[in-house]
Amino acid sequence: MMTPFYKYGLFGDEISLLVAFVLGLGFGFFLERAGFGSARKLAAQFYLYDMSVFKVMFTAIVTAMLGVTYLGWLGWLDLDLVYLVPTHLGPQIVGGLVLGVGFVVGGYCPGTSVAALATGRLDAVVYALGIFAGTFVYAEVYPAIQGFVNANAMGQVTLPEVFELPWGLVVFVVVVIAVVGFWGATLIERRFRSEP
Amino acid sequence: MRLPQLTLNQKLAAVALVLGALALFSQPHRGPFVKLDARELALVVEQEVDHVKPAELAAWIVEGRSDYRLIDLRTTDEFAGYHIPTAENAQLPALTEYPLLRNEKIVLYSEGGIHSAQAWLLLRAQGYEGVYTVLGGLDGWKDEVLFPVLPVEAGPRERAQFERAAALAQFFGGQARTDGAATTEAPATALPKLAAPTATAPAMPTAPRRKKKEGC
Repeated sequence: MMTPFYKYGLFGDEISLLVAFVLGLGFGFFLERAGFGSARKLAAQFYLYDMSVFKVMFTAIVTAMLGVTYLGWLGWLDLDLVYLVPTHLGPQIVGGLVLGVGFVVGGYCPGTSVAALATGRLDAVVYALGIFAGTFVYAEVYPAIQGFVNANAMGQVTLPEVFELPWGLVVFVVVVIAVVGFWGATLIERRFRSEP
Repeated sequence: MRLPQLTLNQKLAAVALVLGALALFSQPHRGPFVKLDARELALVVEQEVDHVKPAELAAWIVEGRSDYRLIDLRTTDEFAGYHIPTAENAQLPALTEYPLLRNEKIVLYSEGGIHSAQAWLLLRAQGYEGVYTVLGGLDGWKDEVLFPVLPVEAGPRERAQFERAAALAQFFGGQARTDGAATTEAPATALPKLAAPTATAPAMPTAPRRKKKEGC
């Protein structure tokens, strides 16, 4: 059997929404389990005394990357069919910075704010209202910034394609970066925790 | 010897490292979807370096070259009926699973030229670099190699060329036609019996080339 199931027509649009809902529940559950339903925990990342966000996110990246690689290797997943968000380098760096500032100021990122909302946190309600307001403003100014948003179109690219490296090598390097990063993050935590 | 006590996180990191190291040898699956460089392909077609002339292919066969894979895209029955010597049979839908290497010289042919051109595109799109089609397909092979026709107003030069072609045709079990365009309407072109070309003609295609070398 080959995946992705959706692209191979194993289920249609309606079922895909259901699948997305179940995946979303799982995502929210594990965000909450990691403590990311709390803005304190999330903001701690930026004060460097709790690197959980970095560790959890990078663990998710490595797990997914290894899973996708091995499923592809076994021939169970067609990597060419997996949708990738098209890369627009410049606009996405700016977008990342905007999201980062919102993350520090509001204490949540979009996913965690919804998880926090589900557990009834008031700050998350304010944050969610901010998301709607921001979405509205973005839609209104979109015609003016359209040119920039669509600049630097690189298509659906992956690191192995951009750097012209073998897939397996990139996987290995990312794993090494992650493991070194976890080790470094633990050192940083110790250092900043001792001087509160 | 006792292993040092590892925390769960350290164990997981070790597992990730091992899996990452193994992934160095991984070959990500490539499905039926492809990407292609449209400009590069268009240039290749424009420069006409995407095909092999039937006479060239015939020369390769006579020389006994083994640096190419000749793929017959027609049905198994048609292939059994007649095929160009050294050809292998592979149909279009199964072509992507057919054991071909990306660094081989792959020469495709079909009855006319359409299927082989389509197969050419499929293989190029999948990263096979050395893919060629036989110009005119099997029809071109018949016209040019098996049953060459002497032009009506043939000068001595054409005549000499025709003689070489006739010898080549004989080598491949065909028959040259000297009666010009008159018989092209109803060609007496029964395809030769399938037999390995073991006739005594191999000297023929090399002869003109040797002459050329002397000329230089």
